[in-house]
Amino acid sequence: MAAMVSPENTPVWVNTARCKACDICVDSCPAGVLSMQQEPTSTLGAMISVIAPDSCIGCNECELSCPDFAIYVANKKEFKFAKLTADSKARQEAISNNGFRLPTDYKEAN
Amino acid sequence: MSATREVISTGNELAAIAAVDAGCTFFGGYPLTPSSEVMHVISDLLPKIGGASIQMEDEIAGICCVIGAGMSGKRALTATSGPGMSLKAENLGLAQMAEVPLVCINVMRGGPSTGLPTRVSQGDIKQASNPSHGDYRSITLCAGNLAECYTETVRAFNLADRFMQPVIVLLDETIGHMHGKAMLPTVEEVKDGIVLRKTFDGAPEDYKPYECEPTAPAVLNPMFEGYRYHYTGLHHDAMGFPTEEIETCRKLIQRLEDKVMAHQDEIELNEEFMCDDLTGEEGEVLIIAYGSVSLAAKEAIRHLRADGIKAGLFRPITIWPSPANKIKEFTDKIKNVLCVELNIRQYTEEIERASSRLDIEGLYKVNGRAISPHEIVSKVKEVF
Amino acid sequence: MAFNYDKYLRVEKMPTLWCWGCGDGVILKSFIRAIDKLGIDKDDMCLVSGIGCSGRFSSYVDMNTVHTTHGRTIAYATGIKLANPDKYVVCVAGDGDALAIGGNHTIHGCRRNIDITFILINNFIYGLTNSQTSPTTPQGFWTVSQKAGNIDPTFDACKLAIASGASFVGRETVNSPKKIEKLITQGIEHKGFSFVEINSNCHINLGRKNKMASAMANLDWIDSITVSKKKYDTLSPEEQLNLLPTGVLHQNKEVAEYCEMYAEIQKAHQGERAKITQDDFAKKI
Repeated sequence: MAAMVSPENTPVWVNTARCKACDICVDSCPAGVLSMQQEPTSTLGAMISVIAPDSCIGCNECELSCPDFAIYVANKKEFKFAKLTADSKARQEAISNNGFRLPTDYKEAN
Repeated sequence: MSATREVISTGNELAAIAAVDAGCTFFGGYPLTPSSEVMHVISDLLPKIGGASIQMEDEIAGICCVIGAGMSGKRALTATSGPGMSLKAENLGLAQMAEVPLVCINVMRGGPSTGLPTRVSQGDIKQASNPSHGDYRSITLCAGNLAECYTETVRAFNLADRFMQPVIVLLDETIGHMHGKAMLPTVEEVKDGIVLRKTFDGAPEDYKPYECEPTAPAVLNPMFEGYRYHYTGLHHDAMGFPTEEIETCRKLIQRLEDKVMAHQDEIELNEEFMCDDLTGEEGEVLIIAYGSVSLAAKEAIRHLRADGIKAGLFRPITIWPSPANKIKEFTDKIKNVLCVELNIRQYTEEIERASSRLDIEGLYKVNGRAISPHEIVSKVKEVF
Repeated sequence: MAFNYDKYLRVEKMPTLWCWGCGDGVILKSFIRAIDKLGIDKDDMCLVSGIGCSGRFSSYVDMNTVHTTHGRTIAYATGIKLANPDKYVVCVAGDGDALAIGGNHTIHGCRRNIDITFILINNFIYGLTNSQTSPTTPQGFWTVSQKAGNIDPTFDACKLAIASGASFVGRETVNSPKKIEKLITQGIEHKGFSFVEINSNCHINLGRKNKMASAMANLDWIDSITVSKKKYDTLSPEEQLNLLPTGVLHQNKEVAEYCEMYAEIQKAHQGERAKITQDDFAKKI
């Protein structure tokens, strides 16, 4: 299988040179791992950011649904992913309801 | 090449045989009178040698599958008539733009439109010079007798590979269906004379198919051999990818023109019949004709000479690009010029352009019938 | 280690020229995963694409690629395949390319059952040229060529493919990338003409004036008009009218493949077997 090494042994990482800020990966994430952020220098004024890598459950939905080869997920056999928690779900809901951006005043439960 | 092998056949069949002898391994086409026999014959010849022949669902598919086979590296042929050429125009343009070699036989019939399917014309001459939109240079050959149905088809394949573009071979219906004796070169001579397209044999990462000298054709390696590149009908860069960059686009189109026009000497072929003693004296007559009409013209010239008129025939075999220099040389020398064609002035206009003369006489016929030697003799005596 | 798409991409061409969120990219990735899983060498496959946004597919894949004139992918591919029968040939075309101008070639590619995998990217519009009606644009939608509403009826391309003789027909949507990967894998493995329709989102040209301006909204709409074949077969004609079935819709492994039959023709001409007759075929009409 064609393989790509994950940088710094992370669960999910992004290639901002390819990302077009379409929001699909943020929408597809169940765990609030991803968020769009304001980025004035990019075409749509936004750019993807991995804001909570420790919440990543490795479902791969973001990678599968990204049309631009801009997001990668580590292999399940080589990385120990987190479990889906209520906190992760809550963060995701906040992100989805805020135009796929984490609200600036968002407070984690703990 | 020699003319030692005697074969009795028709023009269409000779063209099909020639293609196979010249290394063609793929035919794609569609039935269209009066060209269908090319397909009928080659559909038996190709599978015998491990090649493939396919009757497609329409004329457009006929040229497309041939271009596909050519893109993959094969020598490929199609055959059609006027209406089919019209349908093929768009994709012939892609083959020009992407520089894909192929041979397209057009057995000309009465036109325009459905016209006279079973009768002769030379009405596709102008079309052959620019069948598709845009700027490029067509290479068009015209067989003037049975043997040339063979030899011009062979030459067409070598020209297609040399210049990396479609080459049109015009037969008219008379020659396509004519049955008789042809003196041909041997198959060995033909095979020895095959010059395949240039290929690049360096490292794949160094390969740039469309990076060429300004008068050179693209170097397109066969598919599936490690040299991966892109074909497109869009303006493209050195690797074949679409681009709109100003200089790249200008150079590409200019090169399509110059790769042919800078090497016309490799493409031009004419016959000068009984022209040796034409010195420009009063009363000499130059007849310009091609295809089946040239056979009648030769006969007419024999009659005229018997009647004391010094007449000769200039016959372009490569129709496009036209032999403009030769035409000018002849028309500068000889006052009485008669152009005889089975259309209305299609090549006459090119003669006028090349000669800068507007007093070229013409004998034209567009009713699907041949022009007889007698008609040519009468016309010469009438106008000169 | 993540899946490395770059091995199959012309990486210098990234990012793609497709709009943000365009399903074409998802299909491209699914295609790459499929050929990687099948272990197909990049030099054993030719990819042929048509005109349209989906036509740019071929620029991105590191193989011998062809970008044809509008509607003619199958005609070009037939020549490439018949001249090189031991190689893989894949076509990618949009709904306008394959079903409007290219309709005739689609029918005959299916009819010949030649071993080509044909990926129809159906986004229900002419995207690249900015929102003209395609043969699959729903009636009543706004298009730039029918601004008072589209009156052109649509048809089910998969039904056309089945009727025309394709021996493998399936449909998936961009909502299910793993299913696209599986369907393309099955299509390539299948010996015969594999017609694979993928419903994709064009929120920029179809969606914007038809109440689904975001990728997600367009994807939700595609979800609402598709249903698994298993479910579809249980529905009434009225319910089926506004749904497209997904999954493998038809597969027949017994039908002769065109290049294999042509090899028999070659044998017949070389005296290694008798001529082909009716007895060589189960279907005699």
